[in-house]
Amino acid sequence: MTRLFAALFVALLFYTGTDAAETPETILIRQTLGTDLSGHRRGDADLVLSSYDTYFVSYDAHGSSDPRAWTITIEGRDSFAEQLKTDLQKNRYETERTIPSIQVRADVATATTLDSGQIVDRQSGAVRTIYEKRFWTLFKSEDRWRATAVVTELGDTPAAAKKGSNDSEISAVLEREKQGREAGDAAAISSLFAEHFSGYRGKNSLNPAAWQLIFSGTEELEKHLAKRLPHVTYRINRQIVQTHVGARGNEAIAITREDVSIQHARGEVQHEMDRYVMWTLSKRDGAWKISNMLYNFGQPD
Amino acid sequence: MRASIAAFFFAVFAAACSTTEQQITEQVEQMAANPIESAAWQQAVDALAVIGRPAARQLIAQLNPDYYVGENYREFRDEQEKLRTGSARALGRIKPRGATGPLKDRITTAYTDAERIAGIWAIGEIGFVQAGVDALKAQLANDANPTIRLHAAIGLLKMDDASGDEEIAQALAGPDQALAQIALAGLGEAKHFGVPLMARLAQTNGARQSDLKQIMAQVGQGLVVQLDAEDPEMRRRAALALGQLGADSSVDALNAKLSDDSNQVRFSTAAALANMGQKSGIDFLFDAIRDTDPILRTNAVKFLAEVQKSSGAVETQLIAALKSEDALSRAGAAQVLGQAKVEAAIAALEQATTDAEAEVRANAAIALGHIGQSTSRPQLEALLRDSDVTVAYYAEWALNQLGNG
Repeated sequence: MTRLFAALFVALLFYTGTDAAETPETILIRQTLGTDLSGHRRGDADLVLSSYDTYFVSYDAHGSSDPRAWTITIEGRDSFAEQLKTDLQKNRYETERTIPSIQVRADVATATTLDSGQIVDRQSGAVRTIYEKRFWTLFKSEDRWRATAVVTELGDTPAAAKKGSNDSEISAVLEREKQGREAGDAAAISSLFAEHFSGYRGKNSLNPAAWQLIFSGTEELEKHLAKRLPHVTYRINRQIVQTHVGARGNEAIAITREDVSIQHARGEVQHEMDRYVMWTLSKRDGAWKISNMLYNFGQPD
Repeated sequence: MRASIAAFFFAVFAAACSTTEQQITEQVEQMAANPIESAAWQQAVDALAVIGRPAARQLIAQLNPDYYVGENYREFRDEQEKLRTGSARALGRIKPRGATGPLKDRITTAYTDAERIAGIWAIGEIGFVQAGVDALKAQLANDANPTIRLHAAIGLLKMDDASGDEEIAQALAGPDQALAQIALAGLGEAKHFGVPLMARLAQTNGARQSDLKQIMAQVGQGLVVQLDAEDPEMRRRAALALGQLGADSSVDALNAKLSDDSNQVRFSTAAALANMGQKSGIDFLFDAIRDTDPILRTNAVKFLAEVQKSSGAVETQLIAALKSEDALSRAGAAQVLGQAKVEAAIAALEQATTDAEAEVRANAAIALGHIGQSTSRPQLEALLRDSDVTVAYYAEWALNQLGNG
């Protein structure tokens, strides 16, 4: 607790921006994102890495706003550290960062950032101007927020999605999730999720700032399932649009298109919808676990 | 032993809470599971309204879109619409004051018409809260949808605000049958608040008069029941509204209220009966005007003036009372005639300026000042030399009120 207050004090000391919706948590998140920037500018890899979670993942959006175009570039902080060391030796960062949106739900959070400025090649002096939109997910442990994932090079238009593969392990996990829903088996469903997973309502938008955090961890998901499953029966027609597994085989992205319907136990109404879902999965102790789930992103074709 | 008794009662209490919570959960699920306005959906709304305040907190929470995340996550917007609409309906019947704020935030165009109408209806049913009035006025002024504007007008009417009266009158007179039915239903629900408007509309001989008369009769029956309400204010409003409706069928019920425990109810009832030309009401007020209790006299003057202004039903008796043997009656009658500006009483009031009682002379002077006819100048000038300084003072005031003619 003392560390939290100390961190808050330091954050307040250096924080110059103000926002009516600012809370102690958003200030701490700004501090984490500020530390990352500051470490890059100083060429201090340890400072940068202090803002990242052990299981950090980086995705490249390739200038697209559509998760169907995302690929995995970094799997884990160790992998990031290797790349960062080379990067900071090669380049000097003269960049600024603004943070247009932060959303917090319990111990998970999201943020969008706009990085602008220039990256200078230390040897050749070549200058690369950047203006980059990023989407971050963060997790709080021991009173500190750390980045668990970042999506770099986000664009504003849905550039052509890459045609992905269909990994059988990933497909099997998602099939078990569907079966759990249809069987009303809460334990089977929650066992497929990472403890600190995040769930989002995409609101038919490809803009991450519009996505609403709806789940923070499996405990909350279990409570939801306990309330929901006794009253409705799910039917899901889930099609795997694509899967993409990172080079190290520890992280994956999957996109599904699904027709979901529920039949209520206490009435005649059947609710239906057609939606895209983006899933990210991480391999922990040899098993794939769902680490993020984004319902209803973008409009179905 | 004590510990076991305490444990027993705690267990009973916990079981009761759990049962209520379970009932609420079941009814909420039933609302989500059935189409809005279906029998099953309505049954769930009814059951939640019967549970009442223990259900209110959850119903209020269910109005908020941010409620449907985490453990309360529901992926279907239609489900939220059913719950939000049903919650608003139930809250309108439970009437928790604190619900107006959350309800007013759900009546904007960001929500479906069903949700908005239910929210507006609930705000009106809960009753006057300034934030609710402001929100409904905004809808009335700005919304393009005439159905929403009409519901907002009805909601305002239920909060004793007449801003939307013309919207209701237009709906009733217009060609759209659906809007007219909404207007009629709203007037019926508005109880005593809707009576002045209904009474006015009934005199216009516009469209749908027979429907209107039918609603007025229904409201009249409801108001007779309301005369026995626990809250004296509700009894008072019912009595006054019945007077405005003028239904002979309510006379017996009103006569019974002339002996109500509350002064205000008795006087309002008497005024209502007097407005209907009923002798019992007129006698009550004229008896009160000569009562030795100044509070009763003040009430009598106030209500007689209102009766005279609204129906003119007591004019003859008031003028006659200026010649009463009782000085308090003469003084009170002069006061009423002045407040009601009865020009037919000028001659009698001028004569009263020579009354033996100073209070009668003073009230006559004030009344002539209120009426303001310059022909009264000689009598008032004569009073400037009155032996009573108060009379002379009011004579001077009254002269200043007269025209120059």
